[in-house]
Amino acid sequence: MATYQFIDHKFDVVVVGAGGSGLRAALGCAQAGLKTACISKVFPTRSHTVAAQGGISASLGNMGQDDWRWHMYDTVKGSDWLGDQDAIEYLCRNAPAAVYELEHWGVPFSRTPEGKIYQRAFGGMTKNYGEAPIQRTCAAADRTGHAMLHTMYGQSLAHDTEFFIEYFALDLIMDEGVCRGVTAWKLDDGTLHRFQAQMVILATGGYGRAYFSATSAHTCTGDGGGMTLRAGLPLQDMEFVQFHPTGIYGAGCLITEGARGEGGYLTNSEGERFMERYAPTVKDLAPRDMVSRAMTIEIREGRGVGPKKDHIFLHLDHLDPKILHQRLPGISESAKIFAGVDVTKQPIPVLPTVHYNMGGIPTNFYSEVVTRLGDDPDKVVPGLMAVGEAACVSVHGANRLGSNSLIDLVVFGRSAALRAASVLKAGATQPELKPAMTDGHIARFDKLRNANGSTTTAALRLEMQQAMQEDAAVFRTSESLASGVKRLEAVQAKRGDLKVSDRGLIWNTDLMETLEFENLVVQAQVTVVGAHNRTESRGAHAHEDFPDRNDKEWMKHTLTWLDDATGAVKIDYRPVHDFTMTNEVAPFPPKARVY
Amino acid sequence: MVELALPKNSRVQKGRHHPAPAGAKKVKTFKVYRYDPEQPGNPRWDTYDIDVEACGPMVLDVLIHIKNNVDPTLAFRRSCREGVCGSCAMNIGGRNTLACTHGHEEIPGKECQIAPLPSMPVVKDLVPDLTMFYAQYASIEPWLHTKTPEPQQEWRQSPEDREKLDGLYECILCACCTTSCPSYWWNGEKYLGPATLLHAYRWLIDSRDEATGERLDALEDPFKLYRCHTIMNCAQVCPKGLNPAKAIAEVKKMLVDRVI
Amino acid sequence: MSTEFRTPLSRARGLGSAKHGAAHWIAERVSALALIPLVLWAVFGVIRLARADYDTAVAWLASPLNAVLMILLILVAFWHMQTGVRVIIEDYIHKMLTKSVLLVANLFIVTLAGALAIFSILKVALGGAL
Repeated sequence: MATYQFIDHKFDVVVVGAGGSGLRAALGCAQAGLKTACISKVFPTRSHTVAAQGGISASLGNMGQDDWRWHMYDTVKGSDWLGDQDAIEYLCRNAPAAVYELEHWGVPFSRTPEGKIYQRAFGGMTKNYGEAPIQRTCAAADRTGHAMLHTMYGQSLAHDTEFFIEYFALDLIMDEGVCRGVTAWKLDDGTLHRFQAQMVILATGGYGRAYFSATSAHTCTGDGGGMTLRAGLPLQDMEFVQFHPTGIYGAGCLITEGARGEGGYLTNSEGERFMERYAPTVKDLAPRDMVSRAMTIEIREGRGVGPKKDHIFLHLDHLDPKILHQRLPGISESAKIFAGVDVTKQPIPVLPTVHYNMGGIPTNFYSEVVTRLGDDPDKVVPGLMAVGEAACVSVHGANRLGSNSLIDLVVFGRSAALRAASVLKAGATQPELKPAMTDGHIARFDKLRNANGSTTTAALRLEMQQAMQEDAAVFRTSESLASGVKRLEAVQAKRGDLKVSDRGLIWNTDLMETLEFENLVVQAQVTVVGAHNRTESRGAHAHEDFPDRNDKEWMKHTLTWLDDATGAVKIDYRPVHDFTMTNEVAPFPPKARVY
Repeated sequence: MVELALPKNSRVQKGRHHPAPAGAKKVKTFKVYRYDPEQPGNPRWDTYDIDVEACGPMVLDVLIHIKNNVDPTLAFRRSCREGVCGSCAMNIGGRNTLACTHGHEEIPGKECQIAPLPSMPVVKDLVPDLTMFYAQYASIEPWLHTKTPEPQQEWRQSPEDREKLDGLYECILCACCTTSCPSYWWNGEKYLGPATLLHAYRWLIDSRDEATGERLDALEDPFKLYRCHTIMNCAQVCPKGLNPAKAIAEVKKMLVDRVI
Repeated sequence: MSTEFRTPLSRARGLGSAKHGAAHWIAERVSALALIPLVLWAVFGVIRLARADYDTAVAWLASPLNAVLMILLILVAFWHMQTGVRVIIEDYIHKMLTKSVLLVANLFIVTLAGALAIFSILKVALGGAL
């Protein structure tokens, strides 16, 4: 093995990832006087938050009366009662302040005539506990994520956060159950780095690229989740993968739900607005899991559009071109580029496309990573936090509502920083790192760098993606999931036969994609195993052999551990928090989820 | 003097040729700039004969096809593949643009040349070093400056004032404009370049910002701002259809406005 | 290279803002504006004189209005030219010494040429050069 020398860094907090949640956490920690580093494999404004379009939910009440409790009810119902209600309360209560904070930082929100933040309707967002759709989603045209991310990056420049850009995080430095830091590979000079910290905050995003077609960026490889599994910690609720109803057919690029929020609607080959049959009250503004299922059923029953009858139309052509230009300029451009469609005249061909991972690294609402240890289902892992899509707080439960992810980023990014500030002492002494803690990291890195088998990373990745796409789709069956488990095991078995062609250390993207694949494949595997295990239908997990929700047996979070060497998955559970954080709102007991 | 020729160790030499696979239906040749800092030798042009029927419609799809199926060592940045993250900016067919939104059909002829963004140091293959570009962006303090205590709710802004930010805030920092600007090529250390100046104007024109004067002070400089000679390459290449030259002209107008 | 260890932000900020340039920019535009009528007038005048003899030409230039306009044309044109050449030098020449020498030379040559031209006009206008 080649010899590698670590370059050492010592911080109070190290944030891994510089998307919305990572930047918010890093900013908060720096503001609190903690010496903070933020490491990212891409320049911060290239993180996938930049692609969020529709908006950020908060009960500001700018478009008429609103209440954070209504928002909370919608989120609990949207989660199909798998969300932790204490965390959901925390999210919805703190949402307005978080949006005002963003505005004060300079986010160019669209405005109402009174000069307030413009809010639009979004799926599953209702007034008065489910009565009718409400406008709760604060928007900067259809580039809200872009506007937020750029603004937050600007703010972190103002607060002197120390960035380590284009560093690829390798593994967590674990010391008998305590996280002591993280190792990383600097792409532009090929050096390896050891970041020691009192607290590591994982803000590494989702693993959408485990699927063949996803709205996610190429970089959405869930690196934090992979690191967590390798550190012997569990992931939670991984079987819940959100399909966004409106990915552009073929390209998979996102068309915001805000398009329907502004009045767009879906039609089948008969020109029927079929959502009226599936969700009579909110129609096209039903939650994403329901719309995706409805579309899939329409296509299955032969009412898809196009020569192959395999997609659906999204109509915006009845809307005023001025409104389209003002509120949906980005998707008008995307539809033109990727579908060749002029939205003022033609419908956009769309298809449910993998979009978001509700599951992730289990945390409490302080953003501290938790695990199950014996009888304690909420055992905090010292030194480790997770935020954003990488985490599973769980506020999204079995299905996330549109525009709840952006608010999740900033509310829990902030909560992580507040918690770090309260539990850490700036500049406190840290124990010395021992080589034994990182020998495994180097061995794995070196093994992959010199991997000389016969299967290219791209080929094996494709095999995994196809298995996921076919076997863990919108609808699942025992048969498809069993096949998924089998196919993923086959992929797992071929990991030893990987071939990496580039042996270099500087910007070796062949190696980087291999490291990313390693992170993807373990999460893909716990996803199918978790899905196969959950014999009910809830939120985004639609199991055709078990079409009903089974609260008695399954109102609980799945925890999955994976043995990286053997690929064996262990499953356990955590109870859902069916209680609230304060007594200012009563918990919402489970009931049938109809819209 | 300005260097008109590349230094000896940067001259691009003829590289390897990768022929099309048997049975290829529609072959197009992609001539790609290759440079590996860990290997001796000059940069080279590798040529790849690609069956474009086997790829997606965009240049990025071709690059990914090459990386997956022909030559895994090719390095380039990419992320969102839908034109909002700005990672895959490169020089395609002599023009700076995003590989993910530029169709390979759009390139006339049988050969397409792909090079890293011009005028920036090359780290590897199609990956340029954008450190200076980012530092220049940071130097204009791209955040809202306010002194008045923040309100409980949002700062009010009229829809008309908000509209002034359109055509500015959409910038994705891909650096296509800045690296296409001859003035930036000649004076990249002292001239801020179109992208940074567009952002400077985005904050100058934001009705919520309270540091307009200080911002103008910082820009009023023969080099930082006035090196813009309205060459207009920036407006021509911007993959988001923005017009940095117009934003720069507006900054110059504001500077006139405060003295007359 | 000695600048290698400076931070990128330090390099980007450089020597800071000179806090001038607007007046110069305005002056460039105003001088360009002034040159439009002045050049038109001069071209028109020269065309008219093309077929005239020497004495007529001297008499034309000696008239107070023509002499003053001609002096203004020389002043504005040479100043404008000097600033234009200065920008070109600043654009393309980066070595401090070469740049300074060229900038000074530009100024001196233009001033000398301009002064000679103005002196000639004055001589014609006031001295009745023959």
